Amino acid sequence: MQNDKTFGLVVAGVGGQGAITIAQLVLGAAWMNGLHVLQSEVHGMSQRGGEVSAHILISKNKVTSPTIEKGTGDLLIGLEPLEALRHMVYLKKEAHIITSSSPIINMDSYPEIDKVKRLLSTINGVEMINTDALSKEMRFPQGGTIALLGAASVFLPMGDDIWEKVLSERFKNKGEKVIEKNLRAFMTGKELVKQ
Amino acid sequence: MKKSKLLMGDEALAFAACDAGLKAFYGYPGTPSTEIFESGEKYIEQLNDGRVAEWAANEKVAYEFALGTSYAGYRTVVTMKHVGLNVALDAFVNSAITGVQGGLVVAVADDPSMHSSQNEQDTRILADFAHIPLLEPSTPQEVYDFTLQAFDLSEKLKLPVVIRLVTRLAHSRGEVYTQEKSLSPTSIGIPGEEEKNNWVLIPSIARGRYRELREKLPAIIETASHYNTKIIDGKSKTGVLMAGMGRAYFEQYVSDNKIDPKKYNLLSIGAYPVDIKLLKKFVASCDVIYVFEEDYPYLEDMIIPYCDGKCTVHGRRDGTLNIDGELNVAAVRAVLENKKIEGKVDDDLFAKISDLIGIRPPKLCEGCGHSDAYEAITTALKNIGVEDARIFGDIGCYTLGVQPPHNAINTCVEMGASLPMAFGAAMAGMSPSVGVIGDSTFLHSGMPTLLSAAKSNLNLNLIIMDNAIVGMTGQQIPVAADIAPTLAKAAGFAEDQVHVFIPLPKKTKDNIEKLEKIFKENKPSLIVFKRKCIQAMRRKLYTKMEKAAV
Repeated sequence: MQNDKTFGLVVAGVGGQGAITIAQLVLGAAWMNGLHVLQSEVHGMSQRGGEVSAHILISKNKVTSPTIEKGTGDLLIGLEPLEALRHMVYLKKEAHIITSSSPIINMDSYPEIDKVKRLLSTINGVEMINTDALSKEMRFPQGGTIALLGAASVFLPMGDDIWEKVLSERFKNKGEKVIEKNLRAFMTGKELVKQ
Repeated sequence: MKKSKLLMGDEALAFAACDAGLKAFYGYPGTPSTEIFESGEKYIEQLNDGRVAEWAANEKVAYEFALGTSYAGYRTVVTMKHVGLNVALDAFVNSAITGVQGGLVVAVADDPSMHSSQNEQDTRILADFAHIPLLEPSTPQEVYDFTLQAFDLSEKLKLPVVIRLVTRLAHSRGEVYTQEKSLSPTSIGIPGEEEKNNWVLIPSIARGRYRELREKLPAIIETASHYNTKIIDGKSKTGVLMAGMGRAYFEQYVSDNKIDPKKYNLLSIGAYPVDIKLLKKFVASCDVIYVFEEDYPYLEDMIIPYCDGKCTVHGRRDGTLNIDGELNVAAVRAVLENKKIEGKVDDDLFAKISDLIGIRPPKLCEGCGHSDAYEAITTALKNIGVEDARIFGDIGCYTLGVQPPHNAINTCVEMGASLPMAFGAAMAGMSPSVGVIGDSTFLHSGMPTLLSAAKSNLNLNLIIMDNAIVGMTGQQIPVAADIAPTLAKAAGFAEDQVHVFIPLPKKTKDNIEKLEKIFKENKPSLIVFKRKCIQAMRRKLYTKMEKAAV
């Protein structure tokens, strides 16, 4: 971590997408890097298709607030484009947004997806990834989500070398193949941003 | 050498309790407290040294389980959400008068901003009411440390000790250093000959015990005072009085904005009851005081009478902070400075976003039996000509039946309210009167109404949405299954007043016809809609339950 400012990450999605898993992977990575961390989750009825979000604060100094102050967050990982928009308000001007462009339409008034994408594309710092297409291409249902993490990792304040360890540990119970798939998805996402 | 782990506030509490030599966890599920029990249960399995974890039918029973374990000389935790303490209140208040034997820690999670609750009541008030000390941590590490200490305090003061969490702490994950070893549970013995009668609260004994409790107050305050310290006792006349998460947000604000804390005169509160002398002294040293505390303006109300025109207090009472809702760093900033943070979303973008996002409310799962049950109930009422039907509802997943397309329930007050309210409405002439309750909520506190209903000749329809699981809080296993029909019959319901239906789409037509007939009868009926929860099936919990039962 370069400076001693607190780094704020928002992860937003819909119940069942894996937002909390992504948040915990980042939390673990920062912790293994010897940084101070605090993460808050909004639980409850999330399983039932409502919105789910997590805030993670990372710092060289002690972190005591589990939530990010509006207008100060550094990075947003959106697992769903409308949810990315919903949580945009937590970000500072220069923040980056890595978001899926694949909608989850389980609400009555879901707007036309093109309108959502168009608005997202007018916001600076937004990188949209078609996670549905990516998951299909990789034949790995969670591939798109892990690719978002890979893309976001470019902007996270941890060393590049930590991720292999983090992903391997998280999925070690599921065998070598699953670890391999996750690592590949992570790298795919990372390359998308670097290009 | 201490070990460090990433733990949620709830988990930190459970780990500390085990490490302190806890024998038993008891509780009733309720967000955001549920994970205290659940992580404790897992840890117990791992430790495998004779500890137990047992959900009770409700919080009162859970509390009494804990009190009994304490009587047997062991350390124990009872967990519940804030409104659960209302259910346990009789036991809670009187346990201060009996006192405890083995350390008893009451873990209560408050929910300011009502993320998943019907109110935002403040547990500090109830602890004060019962003369029971309360510790209020502000980080997962403090949750761990305070819980360890709470057992010692409980045994020293011979009183229960409350640990108060709030949602943002209960569900926050951070680094926690834990002690290397977990103490094995050991009993300090049952109350001895001299203390035996303390536990029998007949008036002649209770009077003496109550006086002793009141006389213990200075000792309780003295113990609490170790958590209540002036962090900065500087020359500043600007005071900040903070507690729990209020302190966490203030510290983050100061640290992120490189503000010299010496700018303020700081008093931090971590335990209650608070020494009035300390507060008076603090007030006397300030011209102005900002108060940051979660939930009610409790400390704020304590200091206002001592200000006497010499010191101004800014907090929830004077509108500096909202009277309701949780705090955050932004709220602290708004109070202490005028600077507005300009982020990525300006007014223009905010308008565009607001235009699009709508709301994404939680819903009953695709294929959930509750949907089919609601369809049958509402259609049957319509078919028999009930205009503007009103259905008494309760707390659980099925509360989501208030939303479209179901539009099925019209009340949700507190655990177990639906059946007695339906009874009361029927007594007042509502016919048919319908109350809907989940199987776990029925066991929690819906059950007694069966007894009153059985004796009546009201058109009263008690409907149990039975999925044999505590669905909403994450599918805990209920204390009993399939007992309602037998109970009803034992209470006096005739065979033809007890019905069991399967809420499946292919059965809906049949269910509607049967309900139409039942809703026209001037006698009470018990209707059980019985189908498994699809989330619990996915997690193979029923298979586990069956295996455990063998």
